[in-house]
Amino acid sequence: MNPMIRKELRQRMRERRGWILPSLYLLALCAIISFVYYESYKDSPGTQQGWQFGVELFLTLAYSQLALLLLMAPIFSAGALTIEKEQRTLPGLLTSLLGPVQIWWGKFAASLMFILLLLVIGIPVLSAVFAFGGVGPWEVGIVAFTTVVILGTISAISLYWSSTFRRSVHATAVSYVTVVLMTVVTLIIFGIAMSRVRTQNGWHSIPVMVKVPLYLNPLFFLTSALVPKNQLYPEWFTCLGAFVAVAALCAVLTLRNLRRSGDVA
Amino acid sequence: MIEVSLIQKRYGGSRALDGFSLRVEKGELFGLVGPNGAGKTTLIKILSTLIRADSGSAKIAGFDVATDPLAVKSVVGYMPDQPGLYQDMRVREFLEFFADAFRIPSQRRRAVVEQALADSGLAARAESFVEELSFGMKQRLFLAKTLLHSPQVLLLDEPATGLDPLARVDLRDQLKRLNQQGITILLSSHILADLQEICSRVALIAGGKNQQDAAGNSVIELRSADSSLPRLYEVGLLQDGERAAQFAGAFSGVKVMDVEPSRILVEISGEPAQASEFLRHLVISGVQVVRFDRPPATLEQRYREVFGEKPR
Repeated sequence: MNPMIRKELRQRMRERRGWILPSLYLLALCAIISFVYYESYKDSPGTQQGWQFGVELFLTLAYSQLALLLLMAPIFSAGALTIEKEQRTLPGLLTSLLGPVQIWWGKFAASLMFILLLLVIGIPVLSAVFAFGGVGPWEVGIVAFTTVVILGTISAISLYWSSTFRRSVHATAVSYVTVVLMTVVTLIIFGIAMSRVRTQNGWHSIPVMVKVPLYLNPLFFLTSALVPKNQLYPEWFTCLGAFVAVAALCAVLTLRNLRRSGDVA
Repeated sequence: MIEVSLIQKRYGGSRALDGFSLRVEKGELFGLVGPNGAGKTTLIKILSTLIRADSGSAKIAGFDVATDPLAVKSVVGYMPDQPGLYQDMRVREFLEFFADAFRIPSQRRRAVVEQALADSGLAARAESFVEELSFGMKQRLFLAKTLLHSPQVLLLDEPATGLDPLARVDLRDQLKRLNQQGITILLSSHILADLQEICSRVALIAGGKNQQDAAGNSVIELRSADSSLPRLYEVGLLQDGERAAQFAGAFSGVKVMDVEPSRILVEISGEPAQASEFLRHLVISGVQVVRFDRPPATLEQRYREVFGEKPR
C-alpha cells in the first residue's frame, strides 16, 4: 500500500472532522428523507403510489447527496498539499524516495476514500427507497458511479489548487469558486446561449456548442445518468469523458507543480 | 563525494548562486559559511534535489543531482533549517512512515525504526505524539528520520537554529559521531564556534560566489586530517623576536610567517612531532619561549576579514 495513503487516512481519522462530518452527513440525509416523506403525505395522504414516492425520494436523495458531497470534497483535498507547505513537511516528502506521482496518488486516493466512506455509510439511508419500489439496483449503481466520478474530478481540481497556492485558506476558497463555476455558472451560460437559439425538435436539435458548458456541470452529469440505460449515449458518456479529461489535466498540472515545489518548500 | 562546479541559480532578477564551486571529500565534515542571502540554502536545496540549478553541475557520490535525482536521494539525508514534522503522528509512526517512504523492506523496517529510536534517545517517547516533544527532541527525531536509509552524505542547513546550548552540544556530538562512522557531512551554519569545533574545512560563500580570505583561500583548513600538511604555530617570546626568527628559519620544514618583538608566527610542515623538535631546538638555542600554541579562533577572524561583519 502506498505509504502516503496510510499516513493520510490515519491522520484524517484522528481529526475531529473525521467523525463529525460523517455524522452531520447522515443526519442531513435522514432529515431530507423525513422532509420529503412529510411533504408528500401532509396534503394528500394515500393518493400517491408507493413507486412514485420511491422515485421522488430517490431523486431528492441523489441530488441532495451530490450537493452535500460537493460541499465536502474541497475540505478534504484543497488543503492536502498546502498543509504540507504550511507545516514545512513537503521537503521531507520530496527528498524521500516517494515520487511526485506517489505523493499525488496518496493525497488523491485518501481524499476520495473519505468521500467513498460517506457514500458507503449513506447506503442504508439510500436503500430505504427500495421499500417503496420504482427504483432498482441499476439506478442506484449508475448514480453512485456518476457521483464518484464527479467527486473524483472535484478532488483532482482541488488538489491542483492545493499545489498552486501556499495557504490552505486560499486553495479552499478557489476550490469552492470552481465548484460554483461548474454547477451554477455553466447553467447560466447554457441558459443565455439557449435564449439566443431557436430549437424545434427538443434536446437533440440544440447545437453542441450550446450544450458544451453543461458537459462540465455535475448536476447535468447526474441527470444524464438517470435516463434509461439505452439512452446513456451520447450525453452521459460525453460528460464522463469531459470529467475524466479535466481530472487528468489537473493531475498532470499538479504533478508539474509538485516537481517545482522545492522552491517554495 | 560532493562535487559542485560553477553552479548558477536565479530567482527572478536576483542571482542566488553565481558560479559557485565546491569539492567535499569522502568522510569529511565540511562547513559552509556566509552571511544571510549568501546562497547556502539554495546550494543545499540543489544538492538535495529539491530545486534544479540553471547551469553548472553538481554530483553526489558520482550521481548527477539533475539527471539522477532518485539515486542521489537514496544516498543523501537532508535536514532543512526548519524541519517540518507531523505533529499529530506518534514518534514511532513518523519513523515508520519515512522508513516506508525510503523503501526499506517491510521485514527490516521494524528493526530499523527501533534502532533509530535507540540511537536518537527517543525510545522512551516512541508512543508520544510529536507535538508533545521538546524542540531539541524534535530536532533529534528529524535527524533520526534523515538517517533511516543509512545515507552516505548528510546535507544539514542551519541544524542548530533555535536549539538551546545543551541541545547544540548534543547535536555537535551526534554529528561528530556520525562523521566518525564514515558519513560525509556538509553543514551550513552561522554559529562559527560549532563549525570551528567540528569541521575539518569550511568554504566561504557570499553573493552566490566563492569568497577568499586574505591569504587567497576560498576553503579554510580547520582540522587537517592529513598530519603532513603545514600547521600554523604562534611562539610567545620574552624578547628579541628577530633573533628567534633567525633560529626558526634555519630549522628544516619551518617557514616564518610573521615577526614581532615578543612573538613569531611559523608554519611547520611534517608530522606533529616536528613541532616538538622545533620547540626543543629554539630552547636549546637560548630563545626565551613563554608560549607555544596554535592561533585560536581562526574562523571568526577570517570571517570578519572576508565579510566585515560579526556573525549572528
